[in-house]
Amino acid sequence: MDVAIINPFIASVTDIMPQLGFENIILKEQSEKSKKIVASGIVLTLGIVGDKKGNVAYAIDTEGAKQIASIMMMGMPVEELDDMAKSAISELSNMLTANAAINFSNDNITVDISPPTMLTGESIELSMSREQVMCVEFDVDGIKIEINVALD
Amino acid sequence: MENIRVMIVDDSTFSIAVLKRMLQKDGIEIVATALNVKEAIQKAQETKPDLITMDMTLPDGDGIACTKEILKHLHDTKIIAISAMMDEEIIQRARKVGIKGYLQKPVDQTDLDAAIERLFEGEELYGVLKNNFEEAFKESIFSFLKREIGGQVVIEKVVEHAMTTVSSGVSVAIGIIGRHDGRLIMDMSESTALGMTRKILQDEGQQIDDAINFLSEFTNVIGGNACSLLNGLNRSLGLRVSPPTVFRGKDITISIGDIMSESFVIKTDLGDVFMNVGFQKGDVEWM
Repeated sequence: MDVAIINPFIASVTDIMPQLGFENIILKEQSEKSKKIVASGIVLTLGIVGDKKGNVAYAIDTEGAKQIASIMMMGMPVEELDDMAKSAISELSNMLTANAAINFSNDNITVDISPPTMLTGESIELSMSREQVMCVEFDVDGIKIEINVALD
Repeated sequence: MENIRVMIVDDSTFSIAVLKRMLQKDGIEIVATALNVKEAIQKAQETKPDLITMDMTLPDGDGIACTKEILKHLHDTKIIAISAMMDEEIIQRARKVGIKGYLQKPVDQTDLDAAIERLFEGEELYGVLKNNFEEAFKESIFSFLKREIGGQVVIEKVVEHAMTTVSSGVSVAIGIIGRHDGRLIMDMSESTALGMTRKILQDEGQQIDDAINFLSEFTNVIGGNACSLLNGLNRSLGLRVSPPTVFRGKDITISIGDIMSESFVIKTDLGDVFMNVGFQKGDVEWM
């Protein structure tokens, strides 16, 4: 497991989520997966170029995404994942990845990130850009957030 | 630097006169001048300038508070500080409220020109991108399909696309990173992807995993070629593509309405290809 690749993302989650109003951030699991990943709910992917090249994919189930959107929108109730809620989740993926990029730069690795692409569906099969994908699973106030990173 | 409309905020009429002369030399239009915070806020709202030069010490307040108030209403206006006072602390505070650059008095014409150029170069580049990206991507996909698949290739623009689109089976997303960032999404049915893979490789035994590899390379080539075309128009765009992510599944919805983008349906003998490409304006954070 190449921790140098995943650590900036872990640091980003533990740093950003409390700022947004989340309290308990628990790192549940860290693993290495093969290229194909299956996810349901919301998947967001962002491209990364620079000293390292690849992509990152965030997966959150629909209920969890609604809760996150609600907290990000100052506790506004989110009944369904409308454009506003999606935009909040999209912004979250952007913040987390941008912060990970800053963490990389502290290790003298310069990377730039692209805007996120968001997909929703059940059993979405993802093929990342590299055979080994680093995965971490977080429990954020009971919401499962999965981060998959494929970087060369 | 023509077509830039400027307001000068400074408590000294002498400084205003100096700045005015320098800016006019660049062909910049001075739409207002203000001697204090109150006047600045009022005139900014009236004239909605593209650029404001902001003094830091003003008789009824400071440039920081004045900037804060102005940017509340005018999101597109850029503000640079021009002040005799300059230290780390004030620079940090200026940056925090959204001031884009800091010049110390007495200002030199070259420094002023460079700062303004840098600030507005992005706007111009965005214009280049906006006017040319459609053609670049259309040309890129057309020549690829014509060369590799052959037969009929007809590109139809989707006049008004919705916020989301439903995947036909396999989707590929590529990030585009440069002075302004963007994204390319390609989508087609599994049978179209398989058909294309089999045709290109002339091998009927190709399976869906091969098709996924094909589609990811296909998107990479289309994105890479189109970005090269655009970089050729202006090297400062510096567009690069990130590696692709491929999605496969039933009932996948893709969000496409979050950034300025255009969608196309490309009709081929082997089935339709959906392409969405878009960019968002990158901002100069600090000069």
